Amino acid sequence: MRFNEKELVFLSRQPSEMAAELGMRGPKKGDVVKKRLVKLVVNFLFYFRTDEEEPIGALLLEQCRVEREDSQSFSVAFLDEAERKYLFECDSEEQCGEWIDSIIKASYEFMRKNLIFYRTEIHRLTGKDPLEQYGISDETRFQVSNGLQLTPRDAASL
Amino acid sequence: MLSTRARLIFTYQEVIGTQTHTHRGNRRAETHFRKVLFGAACDVEMKIDEKVVAFFESCNSPVDKEGYLYKKGEIKTSYQKRWFVLKGNLLFYKDRQADRDPLGVIVLEGCTVQLCESEEQFAFSLVWSEPGLRTYKFAAEDQACQESWIKALLSANHNYLALLVMDMEKKYKEALAAFSADQTNPFNMPNFNTTEPGYSAAYYRQTSTPSLFPVSAVGAGPGPMLQTPAISPKTASKRSPKLWPKRSANVMPVNTPAPPVGEWAGICIEEFSKLHEDFGKEVKELISNWSKRKRAGEIVQQENLIDFG
Repeated sequence: MRFNEKELVFLSRQPSEMAAELGMRGPKKGDVVKKRLVKLVVNFLFYFRTDEEEPIGALLLEQCRVEREDSQSFSVAFLDEAERKYLFECDSEEQCGEWIDSIIKASYEFMRKNLIFYRTEIHRLTGKDPLEQYGISDETRFQVSNGLQLTPRDAASL
Repeated sequence: MLSTRARLIFTYQEVIGTQTHTHRGNRRAETHFRKVLFGAACDVEMKIDEKVVAFFESCNSPVDKEGYLYKKGEIKTSYQKRWFVLKGNLLFYKDRQADRDPLGVIVLEGCTVQLCESEEQFAFSLVWSEPGLRTYKFAAEDQACQESWIKALLSANHNYLALLVMDMEKKYKEALAAFSADQTNPFNMPNFNTTEPGYSAAYYRQTSTPSLFPVSAVGAGPGPMLQTPAISPKTASKRSPKLWPKRSANVMPVNTPAPPVGEWAGICIEEFSKLHEDFGKEVKELISNWSKRKRAGEIVQQENLIDFG
């Protein structure tokens, strides 16, 4: 698949609050933990060899599961767990928690869901649709019925 | 004088431009080839986990916009019809709507949308203004289509949504506060704690405030799901309304100084309403520019299709 690589590299250079040297292990069998500068920019996780300016790789943080593996490490899994699970080792429990939190919240889909949640709640509390003032209340991407489920108690029922 | 390597790259790009990419094997070989050649000459060898990206395109997450557009080739100057799928800040494209695998994806960060000079009608472009970065040129079938795509692409970036969510969060807080002011009982923030089903207790940091959004970090499903809690002020636990989470998205906090002016062609706007206003102006300008040109071409000016209220 082609992608706009240079522009993505440009993106990797943008300011980010979440950038740190972590131990990182790739998803393939036989991959080992390596020290990498990991940087979160929008919904991408870039990783660099220490002291290099160009990232080695980029991970799109959509449709992923972020889990704590132990007190100081977390994983990001895509598709089937076996196929694609990246492991990250942090320096502390607190840092680990911050990364988990940040990665989850960076997802575009997560933000969209929250938007819809707020919109629904504001409408329920005030009787007004808060997106109307911006003239974007008709946009399909902010509709509740847009393939999203708002009340799954049990994820297995999806 | 182009080096041999550079010449090879250009030749190769021209060759792959003429193929129809129906066989997956070809594409894989092309990608590998491209990485080797392109990377070697341009010193850019960043990998992207393609399976992850391809899955995102094919999964049932919301599609923000899709349709046929003409796209100008990278080396060849001809426009080719492609099926585009916009999901969030990613613009995928395929030969045909029915194709399973996308030909490519454009990450819509750091770019602006502009009308462009073109022999093609209803043309517009995605522009990265940094030196060395490219411009993608497109042409739509008609004006409505053109405007609709311009509007969608302008607001596709992550920051736009982040600011909008922040704005909504603020309005939600205000609505809750106003709501509680009407109650005789003191309002207590609903308890979105880890006892909700589907939560991983390990997800929450021990020392900090639980997230406002009841998020299931662990799921058997395709991704994190938002659970709408049954909010009832009467049953809420005693938790101070002051313990609001910091931010819901990866944006610059409002109180910090603006980021250093530099490479980022993006926006430093902190209020969504300002951003929205700017977008409105931008789109109006684009439309009025188009209209001026069309007037010269004796085409009846249509009504402004986008009303920003």
